Amino acid sequence: MSAFRARAAWASIACLLAGCGSVDPSTTAPGLPPPPSIIVGTTLAVDQTLSRALDDTPRSLDPHISTDVQGQRVLDDLFEGLTTVDVAGKAAAGVASSWETSADGKTWVFHLRPDARWSNGAPLTARDFVYSLRRVVDPKTGAEYAQGLAAIDNAVAIASGEKPTDALGVEAVDDHTLKVRLSGPTPYLLDLLSQQYTYPVYEPAVTQYGDGWVRPEHIVSNGAFVLRENVIGSRITLEKNDRYWDAAHVQLQRVVYYILVDASAQASRFLAGDVQWTDSFAANQRSWLRSVIGDQVVNSPYFGTFMLGMNLQQPPFKDNLPLRQALIIALDREPLARYMREGVYQPAYTLMPPLPGYQLPVPDWATLSTEARHALARRLYAQAGYSDHHPLRVDIDETMLDAGTRHFFDAVAANWRSVLGTEVHTDEREFKVLLQDLQLHKLALFHDAWIGDYPDPYTFMQIFYTGNGNNHCGYSNPKFDQLIDAAGQEPDNGRRYHLFEQAEQLLDNDAAFLPLYYYATRHLVKPYLRGWQSNIMDRNLSRYMYLLEHQER
Amino acid sequence: MLRYTLRRLLGALPTLLVIITLAFLLLHMAPGGPFDGAKRMLPQIQKSIEAKYHLDEPLWRQYLRYLGDLARGDLGPSFQYRSTSVNEIIAQGLPVDATIGVTAIALAVVVGGAVGINAGLRRGTRWDYGTMGFAVAGISTPVFVVAPLLILVFAIKLHWLPAGDWVQGSLSHLLLPAIALALPYTAYVARLMRGSTIEVLNSGFIRTARAKGLPPLLIIWRHALRPTLTPLVSFLGPAIAGVVTGSIVVETVFGLPGIGRYFITAALNRDYTLVIGITVLYGALIILFNLLADLCYAWIDPRVRLR
Repeated sequence: MSAFRARAAWASIACLLAGCGSVDPSTTAPGLPPPPSIIVGTTLAVDQTLSRALDDTPRSLDPHISTDVQGQRVLDDLFEGLTTVDVAGKAAAGVASSWETSADGKTWVFHLRPDARWSNGAPLTARDFVYSLRRVVDPKTGAEYAQGLAAIDNAVAIASGEKPTDALGVEAVDDHTLKVRLSGPTPYLLDLLSQQYTYPVYEPAVTQYGDGWVRPEHIVSNGAFVLRENVIGSRITLEKNDRYWDAAHVQLQRVVYYILVDASAQASRFLAGDVQWTDSFAANQRSWLRSVIGDQVVNSPYFGTFMLGMNLQQPPFKDNLPLRQALIIALDREPLARYMREGVYQPAYTLMPPLPGYQLPVPDWATLSTEARHALARRLYAQAGYSDHHPLRVDIDETMLDAGTRHFFDAVAANWRSVLGTEVHTDEREFKVLLQDLQLHKLALFHDAWIGDYPDPYTFMQIFYTGNGNNHCGYSNPKFDQLIDAAGQEPDNGRRYHLFEQAEQLLDNDAAFLPLYYYATRHLVKPYLRGWQSNIMDRNLSRYMYLLEHQER
Repeated sequence: MLRYTLRRLLGALPTLLVIITLAFLLLHMAPGGPFDGAKRMLPQIQKSIEAKYHLDEPLWRQYLRYLGDLARGDLGPSFQYRSTSVNEIIAQGLPVDATIGVTAIALAVVVGGAVGINAGLRRGTRWDYGTMGFAVAGISTPVFVVAPLLILVFAIKLHWLPAGDWVQGSLSHLLLPAIALALPYTAYVARLMRGSTIEVLNSGFIRTARAKGLPPLLIIWRHALRPTLTPLVSFLGPAIAGVVTGSIVVETVFGLPGIGRYFITAALNRDYTLVIGITVLYGALIILFNLLADLCYAWIDPRVRLR
């Protein structure tokens, strides 16, 4: 055992043992020899079997029922919508090879590939899409994300049981032409149509087998891969679909998703060489992993924001703008993100994470020096009626996610105590309990987060619309609602974005919530796995990936 | 004996009914429902899902419906893993846990038993202190420490065994999880057997045997071994029921498709049917293995008579 190997072994023991604890970054300082090298060739590997670690068992492989990220990853390989995402995660032609839109942006016509087929060889037609989209909004299906189709004419009315399913604004003009009518211009429609809940499903299989149609022996799909095996809690095996329209460009013959709920287990399986791609790694293992495997540790911006919600309908936050501002402004986000989350996540000052073309309305206070910012926060805190003798006493209600998140909230509370003198403590509750309490608006200061469904500001802004089911803060501002409504009718994307920027400015003026950090994707990827790019939606289709010849030393 | 067994099995039914009723009531009393998610859904869709799973019915009717299905052997659909039934989940996971569990218990009994009896016979020697030291360490080291260490050494460093995954019938996939699971049991069995050996060796009938002038090995084999096993049998009954229904730690660390993890995750997800299903299964297994343990007593200890 070489010196490096011995040291790496002890570092990994320490880290595996730590599990949910944190590893002192100083023990992984530079000075360690470079990681064991993997020599990567230039030709394709003979065995094109990709093993990917998945965070959890998908709730369902029915694309219309699936609601989780894990499900999306597998379904992205099994099915394909009218559009799909390219290697950079952007909407691209899928089953539809081209489309045109009317002048008002409310009618779209999609032209389907004549060579699009189901995995059993049956032709895939516009009628399949009509059936599938109607199935999503049919309340009988119980599709939890039916609301995702709200942009399509009558979708919400059908899903609310007010209209029959055939009232949905989709129509098969002929076998290869699909017309979609929208309730308003929807510039993000192409992104929307690449989501799993818009994927086509095979009517004869659904009718014949009911809920069981997604089993390997019954399922018929239309993506680059077909389902071979689904062992709940263990692995999902896919094989290349030779009937896929672009099968000629699919290199992988087999994709195995291993379900590894524990991020440390994902890392150890990666180090053992069992998987070439992991869904995540524990944020507190980042420095250690980087010291062992270098740039096989990949982390990049993800379209989500981690925040604290404040109940605007109850004391102490109700009608106390200076208090909310003081809490928002006092936090030292840079060091919090750097030391408490090992720099994996970037500090957040807005609701929207960075999105190309969208000008983040970063508030003025974010650019102040630390001293000036603290002074401003203290002034607002005093103005809100609090002092050392009468400090703010409130709990951060959070759910039992992981130790790292809890430590982060402890640090937030400590930060407020040192700057303002508050007495804030963290209080853990079960996820389902937290959800129920949120819906009943029982909590004052709580753990909240949002991950965008598609790369558009609307997916974030809608949650602060008056009465929205996800508006946990109980925020309501008619001006904000007007801006969102106006954006919904605005076909020009530049002007739409500007309306959203103004809306977000209002959120900051009203101190409606407390941004903490933007999420980041976390993957471990072998250097010989190619054909992928980090992207903000964190969608990486196996269809584009391939393995190069390699030798591990 | 047969009458006794039948009577015990019949007597188990009310116990199981109590378990089911308690699990059912406690779950439904817990705040939050199976279909409360991070994102709100439309009310009509929620209603439709609840109707599909009969959650819209009064509780007593849901309870009777569940009992009716259970009587037919149907544990119902899983709420968390929609499109999968609880029967399927158990049918898929239980054999995995049972294989690992039985292997682990066999290892524990053979290794722990041998080490413990040996230590008991050589009480006060270096052998005794040495193995008992290991046993204390074995009991005190949690599986979540042992399992990653085994992976680190045998999978990542030496590449001898796989770091996880499950392949039916593959010995190499079975070995590490079984050893990780067996370790604390081995240590416990060793301590149990040592104590029991010492106690038996001090008893009157052994003194009589010695006085008769029997050779020491024969005394141990013919007179001491069977009574020594009595505490082991009482320990093994519930222990086997526990290991065959899975260990959440071993399953998580090795990524195994067992059912042990659902004891926690299904409860957190409010997957009512899955929680009740595995609770009933666990309860039934405990009752069964306790019965087997009692039957074993009759064989081991001539003083026990089953009526």
